[in-house]
Amino acid sequence: MIRKILVVTQKEILDHLRDYRTALTTLLWGLFVISLIGGMAMLLGTNLREQIEKPFTLRVAGMENAPNLLSFLEQQNIIIEPAPPDPKAAVSTGDIPVVLIIPPEYSEDFSSGKTAAVQLVYDSTRTSAAVDKTRVEDLLEGYDRYIGLLRLSVRGVSPEVIHVVQIENVDTATPQSKALLFFSTLPYLIIAVIFSGAASLITDATAGERERESLEPLLINPLPRGWFAIGKMLAAIPFIVLNLLITLSAFVMLFRVLPLGEIIGVRIGFDAGALAIILLLCLPVVLLASAVQTLVASFTKTVKEANTHLPYIALLVSLPGALIPFLPVKPALWMMLTPILGQQVLMNQILRSEPISAMNVIIASLGTILLSIIFTFIAVKFYESERILSR
Amino acid sequence: MIQVQDLSKSFGKIKAVNHVSFSALDGQITGLLGPNGAGKSTVLRMLYTLFKPDEGTAQVDGYDVSRFPLEVKKRIGVLADARGIYPRLTARENIRYYGRLHGVEKGALEKQIDLLIRLLDMQSIADRKAAGFSTGEKLKVAIARTLVHNPQNVLLDEPTNGLDVISTRAMRRLILRLKEEGKCILLTSHIMQEVAALCDHLVIISQGNITASGTADELRQLTGQSDLEDAFVAALGMKEEWG
Repeated sequence: MIRKILVVTQKEILDHLRDYRTALTTLLWGLFVISLIGGMAMLLGTNLREQIEKPFTLRVAGMENAPNLLSFLEQQNIIIEPAPPDPKAAVSTGDIPVVLIIPPEYSEDFSSGKTAAVQLVYDSTRTSAAVDKTRVEDLLEGYDRYIGLLRLSVRGVSPEVIHVVQIENVDTATPQSKALLFFSTLPYLIIAVIFSGAASLITDATAGERERESLEPLLINPLPRGWFAIGKMLAAIPFIVLNLLITLSAFVMLFRVLPLGEIIGVRIGFDAGALAIILLLCLPVVLLASAVQTLVASFTKTVKEANTHLPYIALLVSLPGALIPFLPVKPALWMMLTPILGQQVLMNQILRSEPISAMNVIIASLGTILLSIIFTFIAVKFYESERILSR
Repeated sequence: MIQVQDLSKSFGKIKAVNHVSFSALDGQITGLLGPNGAGKSTVLRMLYTLFKPDEGTAQVDGYDVSRFPLEVKKRIGVLADARGIYPRLTARENIRYYGRLHGVEKGALEKQIDLLIRLLDMQSIADRKAAGFSTGEKLKVAIARTLVHNPQNVLLDEPTNGLDVISTRAMRRLILRLKEEGKCILLTSHIMQEVAALCDHLVIISQGNITASGTADELRQLTGQSDLEDAFVAALGMKEEWG
């Protein structure tokens, strides 16, 4: 009898493969998203690095007022150029990120030992200008400290007098966790891939079967009606797994091929081993996706209707992943018991190269499998009811 | 052989089938005749186990439809009102799918498919994808998959509905051939002339009730009408108005 379920499964797989354009588009979707993320990471990384390492050109108005300051800046690898006549306008149009204005009274104040004011002109709504502004600020503070210390020394005061508190930064972030910016999208993405990997097959096998009026004759064949639902669910699984595999491989390749590690400045602990673990971790989610989508699509009467419902499910279930950054770091039992969220938290841990607890994996897997069984059961009952034939 | 006793089925407040009884014997063609919405398809749906009867029983070769649906389904071939086929599969693949669902052994299955393809004169379309088939060609595929497991009982819901004259004649020849093979054939129709020539036994159903049954001649005598259509209308016990 199990063989007859597989007959249904085989037919649905063959039918879906014949629709090669849909099948191909589904497979390419994962690749497309991955290349998008890769591109974004490249761009962001290159941007950061360029801005830090590139010799920096600073536009200065009133250059003649502070020759000492300017030569200090030039020693710090800054190229000084005169500012345009209207610095504020040039900044607000975005032509120049930052302008340093040295007022005429600077020289006098400086010489008389008073606090001498300079102005930094920038636009805080421009993210790209923020790095430049911080850099100039840091250099100016450096000059401020340097001259200050000199003045104290001249007066015979130890510099330690003004250093009341010394801050030493101890950052516990591992190199991997810094790269997490780029990985944080992965759990979200993987769930989305699982829930879209076979949506077209499921829609066609359920709502499509009704729409083209082939469901009723199909159900007259001698196997328990609920088994058709199971056969159709099983047909979705290889496509989801294949899609998942392509997406994960693409992610690994992305970090192999592109010098992202170098660009972001960290080594990335994402290898074939991590990929295999994530794949195994996701298998119960694959079951769940297949079951819940088959169930929902079975209730719809047309392909069009199914196509409006299924994307909501994909969105709804992958959303918890977006909450992960706001959750307590330590995985709690309730998270593991929440299907999909549990897997997303665990994936996040794997990507952070944290040890994951086998207990958590088992709890998350069992919870998800149990929910899949419940959905499958409801789908089987629905196929056995007369309502499946109502038009 | 099909036996129906006192069968009833309601949908909400609407009584679709009301205490219907009749038999369809092997080697005979039985016609279930009635106007649109009379309950013909509902009776068939109970026979092929998709609907459960509210009251009464029905047996196919002695198996009760409610208690042994799988045994019943193995013994019937059904051309349902809904006869959709899979457009991305070839005609042959469409037929093979049903054969495999019936558990027909591989060698025997391919032989039976070849036989049906020859019998229905569909060699030219056998290995073409079903997308773009004409109504007649689609019907041939649907008929072939109905007969792929060589069932003893054949249920045909409005088998000539939507067919042109040529296809209708081919369908009649096929039904007669099945009769010669000793099969039990139950078909529904709403056209008296069509079934009168074909059927050995007629069951007239109207608004869920059986109003008359017998051979065409018996119905003529019963109603006192010489014209078949008049006899049909008289047997329905209805006024002539839009139903």
